Amino acid sequence: MRTAGARTGTRESPGRLGPIWTFLFRYGPPRWTEYVLNNWSGQRLVIAIPYAWLLLFFLVPFLIVLKISFAEFSPLGRPPYEPVFQWLDEGALQIKLLVGSYVYLFNEPLYVSAWIYSVKVAFFSTIFCLALGYPMAYAIARAPPTQRNIFLMLIILPFWTSFLLRVYAWIGLLKTDGVINNVLQYFGIIDAPLAMMNTSFAVYIGIVYSYLPFMILPLYSNLEKHDLTLLEAANDLGAGPVRSFMRVTLPLSMPGVVAGSLLVFIPAVGEYVIPSLLGRTDQLMVAKLLSDEFFLNRDWPRASAVAIAMLLLLVVPIMLFQHFQNKELQAAKR
Amino acid sequence: MQTAERRADKNKTKNEAWRDPHAEAYVRIENVTKRFGDFVAVNNVSLKIFKGEIFCLLGGSGCGKSTLLRMMAGFESLSSGAIYLDGQDMAGVPPYDRPVNMMFQSYALFPHMTVEKNIAFGLEQEKGLTRSDIATRVTDILEIVKLESFAARKPHQLSGGQRQRVALARSLVKRPKLLLLDEPLGALDKKLREATQFELINIQEQLGVTFIVVTHDQEESMTLASRIGVMNRGEIVQIGTPTEIYEFPQNKFVADFIGSVNMFEGTMIEDLPDHVRIKSDELGSTIYVDHGISAAPGAIVYTAIRPEKINILRTPPADTTENCVKGVVKEIAYMGDVSIYLVRIDTGKTIRVTLPNVERLSDDERIAWDETVWLSWHGSSPVVVTQ
Repeated sequence: MRTAGARTGTRESPGRLGPIWTFLFRYGPPRWTEYVLNNWSGQRLVIAIPYAWLLLFFLVPFLIVLKISFAEFSPLGRPPYEPVFQWLDEGALQIKLLVGSYVYLFNEPLYVSAWIYSVKVAFFSTIFCLALGYPMAYAIARAPPTQRNIFLMLIILPFWTSFLLRVYAWIGLLKTDGVINNVLQYFGIIDAPLAMMNTSFAVYIGIVYSYLPFMILPLYSNLEKHDLTLLEAANDLGAGPVRSFMRVTLPLSMPGVVAGSLLVFIPAVGEYVIPSLLGRTDQLMVAKLLSDEFFLNRDWPRASAVAIAMLLLLVVPIMLFQHFQNKELQAAKR
Repeated sequence: MQTAERRADKNKTKNEAWRDPHAEAYVRIENVTKRFGDFVAVNNVSLKIFKGEIFCLLGGSGCGKSTLLRMMAGFESLSSGAIYLDGQDMAGVPPYDRPVNMMFQSYALFPHMTVEKNIAFGLEQEKGLTRSDIATRVTDILEIVKLESFAARKPHQLSGGQRQRVALARSLVKRPKLLLLDEPLGALDKKLREATQFELINIQEQLGVTFIVVTHDQEESMTLASRIGVMNRGEIVQIGTPTEIYEFPQNKFVADFIGSVNMFEGTMIEDLPDHVRIKSDELGSTIYVDHGISAAPGAIVYTAIRPEKINILRTPPADTTENCVKGVVKEIAYMGDVSIYLVRIDTGKTIRVTLPNVERLSDDERIAWDETVWLSWHGSSPVVVTQ
């Protein structure tokens, strides 16, 4: 790619950017930057920056956590684990990998029930989000364009306030002497207050409330692009409104449904704040266990193992998400 | 060849039900008006369409033809008036309950279904059809539109012409009595359009379906239609066979809309039952028309002469007082089969003349730019309209 040469030049003739390099490095640019600027196309250069960012702040920390998950717990150490890689005096590299943490996770009843509970809560939260979100997204997509923007803004508005505050607000609503109980008792609908706090019910409410926009927005984005003459064609061929919806709108909205569902499910499995504030104390979700292992027990290897195990659990849904996103992209190109 | 025989038969026993005052119309549109707020899209239209016809609604953009079609299909409600299909009032009947099918301009094929499933969709909505019935009918219609090997493809894997045929098959497979087509050939290139025009006519004759076609393309309407309804600004301006519309327009708009025309304003100086003479200042001479016309005495009339009916002569004819004018050739457009000449006459008006290129002439034999020529036409050529 000699075309870059005119801008960047060589050590002998630094080109247009020369003065900057000369100022920075005093004696001209180092050879590797020359190589990069001369041989890499602009496209590669631009991608290189976010790539390096992701490498440094995602891949490296992930590898560190992976390493710690295989370490041996040492309660009094700082950090509280035995080194995995150790240079011995003989000049040999000792690598100690323990799978004990993982074995513990998959056997300990506390963890197994937490896995199952987390997946169950995330799954049903996704279903509820879909049941609530689909009609809302549909209504917004079919509304006149001026109204649409207003509706979308209303959906996004909660994001302008702190997530934590909104969950706290639910405590105020759901607790025994909270707003809902007081109102219901005032109107005589119930005699004794309903126990809504610290239940699965409260967790579902919290998750569905917080994640609903993540379901609505991809669904809306898909539904808004639908060609309405397809529905006219379906009507013309004898299908009434319900049939037309089931056989035309619904199948065509599937990419939106999948995107929204995965955007709710994947984070919901690892949700920490909502079950901590609103959830049961006898049945925990995985994120709480991880936090306890890390902060209370100071068992870094076990905590790291939980993190890695959660990632493995979610790898399949994440890959599904990627696959459907690619399909949408391909469809949009045509 | 089979198609030629069929067309010869058609000419012998032509379906001209509209000439019979006692014939029952299949589609009756009575005083239909459609308003969108203050804008009147369709203004008090009344129409009778007979069984087995191909009726074309012809007009420019915004004339109301698509709105009228959509009202027949059930997608728009009527502001006033009534539409009767086979004697039944269609007020309040939704599109999925009407015995009508529509072929959309954009084809509206279901992108997530194969060709087969697209076509079968309509049949699956009907009661009393078994799977094998549906499969048979789908295969039959695919044969008729010549897409047998494309059954498993999806719309995005088809070319424009193939998609058009799938849309046609999908709308015909339910054997509707009435098929509405919205600009069916608009998206096709010229050669494909010509081929498809004849295919459409053949299919229509084969299946005996009544077609109502909406188009802005005059050639399309002239080829396809048994009758044309010319629309302008929400009103029907003239109804007739292609020949009637072209040779006997009833007003300036129709004369100008169909094909090209040379229009001369003038007043009648001689008005007799078998001929009239018109003095036209625009032309600079007299027009002799060999048939009588009905117009108020002294009224302004407009004479329309088609470009192909004018002769170009290099020497003046015997009689230069009427049906003759001198001019200078200003533009020549060579179209291959015909040449179009724009001739400027003394009054400043430009006359359009079309001549077929019958012989292969060399450059000096052909009429050239800035040459002085005489234009003349026969007394039967002009058409006189009063509005």
